[in-house]
Amino acid sequence: MSRPLRRVVLVDDHDLFRAGVRSELGPTVEIVGEAGSVLEAVPLIKELDPDVVLLDVHLPDGGGQAVILQVAPERPGVKFLALSVSDAAEDVIGVIRAGARGYVTKTISAEELTEAVHRTADGDAVFSPRLAGFVLDAFRGGEATADPELDQLTAREREVLQLIARGYRYKEIAARLHLSARTVESHVSAVLRKLQLSNRNELTRWAAQRRLI
Amino acid sequence: MSSRPLRLPVAFPTVSRSERGRVLAGVCAGIAERLAVDATLVRLTFALLTFAAGAGVVAYLGAWTLLPAPGAEPVSRWRRIAGVVLVVWAAVLALHGLGLAGSLVWPLALAAAGLVIAAGAVSFGLHPRTARVLAAVLILAGVVVFLGDNTRGSASTLLAPGAVAVSLLLVLGPWAFRLARERDAERAERIRTQEREELAARVHDSVLQTLALIQREPNDPRRVATLARRQERELRAWLYPSSEPAADGTLAGAVDAAAAEIEELHGVRVEVVRTGDAPLDDRTHALVLAAREAMANASKHSGANEVSVFLDADTTHVALFVRDRGSGFDPDAVADDRRGIAESIRGRMERVGGTARIVSSPGDGTEVELELPEAPG
Repeated sequence: MSRPLRRVVLVDDHDLFRAGVRSELGPTVEIVGEAGSVLEAVPLIKELDPDVVLLDVHLPDGGGQAVILQVAPERPGVKFLALSVSDAAEDVIGVIRAGARGYVTKTISAEELTEAVHRTADGDAVFSPRLAGFVLDAFRGGEATADPELDQLTAREREVLQLIARGYRYKEIAARLHLSARTVESHVSAVLRKLQLSNRNELTRWAAQRRLI
Repeated sequence: MSSRPLRLPVAFPTVSRSERGRVLAGVCAGIAERLAVDATLVRLTFALLTFAAGAGVVAYLGAWTLLPAPGAEPVSRWRRIAGVVLVVWAAVLALHGLGLAGSLVWPLALAAAGLVIAAGAVSFGLHPRTARVLAAVLILAGVVVFLGDNTRGSASTLLAPGAVAVSLLLVLGPWAFRLARERDAERAERIRTQEREELAARVHDSVLQTLALIQREPNDPRRVATLARRQERELRAWLYPSSEPAADGTLAGAVDAAAAEIEELHGVRVEVVRTGDAPLDDRTHALVLAAREAMANASKHSGANEVSVFLDADTTHVALFVRDRGSGFDPDAVADDRRGIAESIRGRMERVGGTARIVSSPGDGTEVELELPEAPG
């Protein structure tokens, strides 16, 4: 399948990790720039205007969400994909709520990462099993909320997330639920939107811990 | 830290003389501008004060000395001191003029001078400590004069101790406050040091040991991966305790422990994702053992280098999934003597009222689904 070449900026404070990613990514992904801190990353991304920024959740001077918050208003076309070893739910939820299109762990395989970059560039959401687990946690419980449209997951969305958490890929989920791959993607995007816009207590608490609100 | 100038609790308001609407030196106009009242009102006040033994004139001179010309630098130290003396003198005259007894006026004047010196130490160019001593001496002198002059029974004997207490508080308060803050900073520093030491100990005990082990066996990739993985798990549990609530005694904790054990034994990554938790009882314990068996099978037979585990639990319903992307097999073709699946997984689940489903086909990986419905009764 022929895919357009994606221009990517890699932001991570570990040189070793950056070198590893650089050598692993497939021929359809070109690393056009690298940065090791928020201070370096912000002007670099604004200048290069890449398709996708692979963004470490933890950076020495403010973290991935600081980069998103400073870049996104001026470069709305740039998409962010969070990449981390972090296990803390509030870090991950924080960077997603700042505007990242998804979250993958650093143990991801090279081909999956390449796939995730393309999916991010296409404007789709990228959910790793771990993120799916966090989201299920965050939307757990059916408490009455002010905005059920945003504050609750539909049964179908929950089903999709559960399959992602079980390690299924989108295509496998589509086959299992007798849906088109496109429909699965739109469910995941809907969940991402809820994650970013919902005022559910659980989510605002997490975001507050990362001083986003 | 101590070289930082003391912040003035009572700063001189930044009043300057005014160019606009000045009659004499622009003092009244300047004060009026600052207070946002009509200049006539200020002039009237000065005029009325003049009737009180000429206090208005002295006060005007004092203000003139104190207030800088519009736009100019603040006045010099000597002018400032002279100005304060004039203003205090004016206050004394005014109070006399209003008919207050000398025995009350002089102590008040002394205390006021003390307060001004304490508050304005920096703008007088005095060392804060000198200013404090000076202020305390003046206030004490005021108290002594007051006590010496007043006979018992006067109403002001009741007020005076309060006034002295307030004055002393104003003089010594900032100093005590800073002392307390320094002590807090010291304690914070001590806690930080302790934390750093704990971190160093932790890194030494775990990370450095692991790195040493890896260097000793660099040619055994499986062993290296296992060591790295174990280290990662340990560090994570320590760094993010909230995301690993999984202490012993809960289902999630037991699943984590089983996954860790399988990783160690078979050198395969076992990635656990979970949502919710449940207490560990006979039924959930059986589920953990079945899950452990499923993980072990996946690690041994599938050839995949990663096994995904998803635990979805609440108090009424528990589901657990073990998935690999390895070689897969035909579940129907498994000989009955393969006790792993028949006994350790299916049998275990059925005995506690649960179910086990195994979905697999050659080349497509395997998924084991374990479920516990709500406990009967």
